[in-house]
Amino acid sequence: MNPLQRKLNKKMDILIQRENSGQLNRKNMNRAIRRALQNKLALVGLGIFLTIIILCFFAPLFTQYDPLKINIRVALQSPSTAHVFGTDTIGRDIFSRILYGGRLSILIGFGSAVGASFLGVVIGAWAGYRGGWFDFLMLRTSELFLFFPQIILCLLLVTMVGQSVGNLLGIFIFTGWCGIFRMTRARMLSLREEEYVQALKVLGVPEPIICYKHILPNALGPVFVNITLSTAIFILQEAALSFMGLGVPLEIATWGNILNVANNLNILKVNWWIWLPVGTMISLFVLSINFIGDGLRDSTDPSQQG
Amino acid sequence: MLTYTIRRLLIIIPMLILASFLVFLGLELMPGDAVSFMADPETLANMDPARLEAVREQLGLNAPFLVRYFNWLLCVLKGDFGYSLTSGVPIKQIVFNTLPATIELSLAALLFSTILGTVLGIISALKRGQMTDNVLTIAGLLGMSVPQFFIGLMSLFIFAINLGWLPIGGRLRPGYESFIDRLPHLILPAVVLGLALTAGVMRYARSSMLDVANKDFIKTARSKGLSEWRVNFIHGFRVAMTPVAILLGLRLPTLIGGSVVIEQVFQWPGIGNEFLSAIRGQNYPMVMMIAFFMVLATMVSSFLIDLVTALLDPRVRLS
Amino acid sequence: MAYGIQPIPRNKVEGETVQQEIVLRITDLHTNFYTNMRCNKVLKGISLEVERGKTLCIVGESGCGKSVTAASVMQLIPDLARIESGEIVLYDNGQDIHIETLDKYGKSMSDLRGSKMAMIFQDPMSALNPVYSIGFQIIEMIRQHTKISKSRAKEKAISLLREMGISSPETRINDFPHQFSGGMRQRAMIAMAMSCEPKLLIADEPTTALDVTVQAQIFSLMEKLKREHGTAVMMITHDMGVVAEMADDVVVMYMGYIVERGTVHQVLKNSTHPYTVGLMQSIPMIGKGKKQKLQPIRGCTADPYDTNPGCPFVTRCDFSTQLCHDHMPEEVTVSGNHKVRCHNPIQKGAVDART
Repeated sequence: MNPLQRKLNKKMDILIQRENSGQLNRKNMNRAIRRALQNKLALVGLGIFLTIIILCFFAPLFTQYDPLKINIRVALQSPSTAHVFGTDTIGRDIFSRILYGGRLSILIGFGSAVGASFLGVVIGAWAGYRGGWFDFLMLRTSELFLFFPQIILCLLLVTMVGQSVGNLLGIFIFTGWCGIFRMTRARMLSLREEEYVQALKVLGVPEPIICYKHILPNALGPVFVNITLSTAIFILQEAALSFMGLGVPLEIATWGNILNVANNLNILKVNWWIWLPVGTMISLFVLSINFIGDGLRDSTDPSQQG
Repeated sequence: MLTYTIRRLLIIIPMLILASFLVFLGLELMPGDAVSFMADPETLANMDPARLEAVREQLGLNAPFLVRYFNWLLCVLKGDFGYSLTSGVPIKQIVFNTLPATIELSLAALLFSTILGTVLGIISALKRGQMTDNVLTIAGLLGMSVPQFFIGLMSLFIFAINLGWLPIGGRLRPGYESFIDRLPHLILPAVVLGLALTAGVMRYARSSMLDVANKDFIKTARSKGLSEWRVNFIHGFRVAMTPVAILLGLRLPTLIGGSVVIEQVFQWPGIGNEFLSAIRGQNYPMVMMIAFFMVLATMVSSFLIDLVTALLDPRVRLS
Repeated sequence: MAYGIQPIPRNKVEGETVQQEIVLRITDLHTNFYTNMRCNKVLKGISLEVERGKTLCIVGESGCGKSVTAASVMQLIPDLARIESGEIVLYDNGQDIHIETLDKYGKSMSDLRGSKMAMIFQDPMSALNPVYSIGFQIIEMIRQHTKISKSRAKEKAISLLREMGISSPETRINDFPHQFSGGMRQRAMIAMAMSCEPKLLIADEPTTALDVTVQAQIFSLMEKLKREHGTAVMMITHDMGVVAEMADDVVVMYMGYIVERGTVHQVLKNSTHPYTVGLMQSIPMIGKGKKQKLQPIRGCTADPYDTNPGCPFVTRCDFSTQLCHDHMPEEVTVSGNHKVRCHNPIQKGAVDART
């Protein structure tokens, strides 16, 4: 018998003893406790997430510096009691830039996620419900979009329409609706066969109302989990674009923009405080979102084995 | 198998044509027109306007949109991609100089992620619920959360600058140096590029293995008296890999897009780097052609992965 | 007897105790499943025998433990389950093999599986690996247990498919499971199971997923195998019709106990346990018309974790007494090999009087 089997054998011996000695009905309690513990990860994620949100959106409480204020005299100072994360190449306080920049990065990420999901849901619901040429057209379009690497598409569009926060939001939404579209459409395809749909049609309810008011709410479950995860993806994407200088215009602080200077090997080598804290901040935030998303998905998964 | 291949081709080819149409549309929307793109910039500077107008007429630039599209398409198919606005060098030359570097990088990253991700995913599944599994799960989540370029910067900082184990960037020319000599330059960018994909593959492989372990045909395989090894690998693993192959196909565009960023960080002389300089230099013809090439690359590799999936799983050949 | 099902006449005269060769004997088997941090006593003391060339049907409702019995014999129970006590003995050419002593994952056990005893499952579509051809899966099994070359194994596989009634086996052998129809798939599975001439064939509801005409074909195929190879068959089913058609011996299970066992004539025509009687009475009779009253067994199966000391059927039994609540009945002999576990077994004629 290998060690794993021995361990299992011991576990089974304990269980049979417990059963025989009448310690019953621990079933419900154990299940609940186990569930709570499994979501340890999600709780940690939630904690980190809320901490960062509070830091960023209540920034004036945590830092007195203006993120845009240039002060060459204190340029490139390493972290000190005056400047928690030091200063950058033109003397701006990095900590405050991270906090204020965080607002923008998070808003762009979340805004794009909500916008793309909205677009994807609206189009997907109608395409799935009606079918026909609209569905065919939208499906082929989404396939084409999915073949394009999203970054390339974004870069192309940025070249065409120019850099600005509004433009970036628009571009993200325009390139990001396909995933949600497919998901909603698939749900719609199965839901439209339900009997209440037939009943509504017979009663003469107009089709758009059937589609959006009656069927759609049933399909929305996974969409919310998806919004959380999309936020993470869009934040990473904005960071990558801004890092290359092709996202939000460089004067405005976002997490990616702050990292832009790290392209310079010298800064990378010597002034670690300019890029390390920002990168860690992005990673922590996205990580926390992924923890929460995983926890959400696990708690709706019925296939948990004892 | 053959019918499946043909069917896939019949889907890809119209897509390519559609993509080329969109590329041409993009070109039309940019400032400047086909003359400035397709003619050699030196000659262009020396011509007088009347002659330019005549050339325009001759080239059919005043012809309707579709005719211009077909002319352009024919040029592209013949191998004439136009000239770079900034350097005047034929785009074809630039593309063919830099494409191999990107292919090398992407292939290395793909290989690395597939192998490492699959192995780790299987280990994770076999040791389900134990410490190894938990550690790997968190590592996977980390891999998906940290921005690729940040990992790149950190790895440069640690391995290249501080420890000095690996070179800081660039790529040695093949043909001049052996592959072993070139390897140190390839390692860091390939690993960093493949890290996010590795995390995804690992999670997928793990859940796929766990899924398959409960299936009936595993019970049958055991009841036939086959050894545990054979049951888990010949039967279990083989079936579990189909969803992973499909995932790889879906994530390919992300890999190719990611190479743009990584080439920037590591100064890897690939097509992505050229793409970025073209964008910064407002070099529109270059931008569009490279974009088109990237889509081409995505479609071709996606097609190849579809074929591999069909080989692995005969049920796919029906769909 | 006013029952709708009659056992099909066999050649053997009823009551004859011919000394047949026993292939498998299970004695007082207890198997527990440990899931959800609980201990579920699935089998609570099972004893049965399967004889060479004969079919033993295990019949009962879902959850009674019939599939677990088969799984215990093949040692295919999950990690968090084990055989607590009892004996499972396979008799092979004078050797007594105690299966309960063998390691689940050990080599001796995997050597037994396939070569001495084989199993076929309910749904052949999910029971066969979809990415390998039928030929591959049969040949792999043959070569696991016998040392022959690939080409010889292939020939053997082709002749097996032909024997099971699959036409053009030379081409079909390279086909994948999804390219076969349901009945053909089951035949292929049986071919695979029989490929190493096992002494015992365990069939877990082999025809539930097939339609009735195909069902009949599969059964005649299995009869042929019994006749020509002398295979002992242990068939698990919930369908009394299958029992009447196929069984030589019957075992009726309820909540982990065997409540009645004997030959098919004894158990079907002379049912003594109230559960068996209930089962027989709840089957509609052909010819009696639409107005016949079906008498389902009242109530439903109890909670498996219920630890009342008495008979588990007591809540649904019309003949229960205080004794039944307090003590689980021992097995008593009705006649010959006909045994029942009941304090108040129903006498022949008693049921007629009630109806």
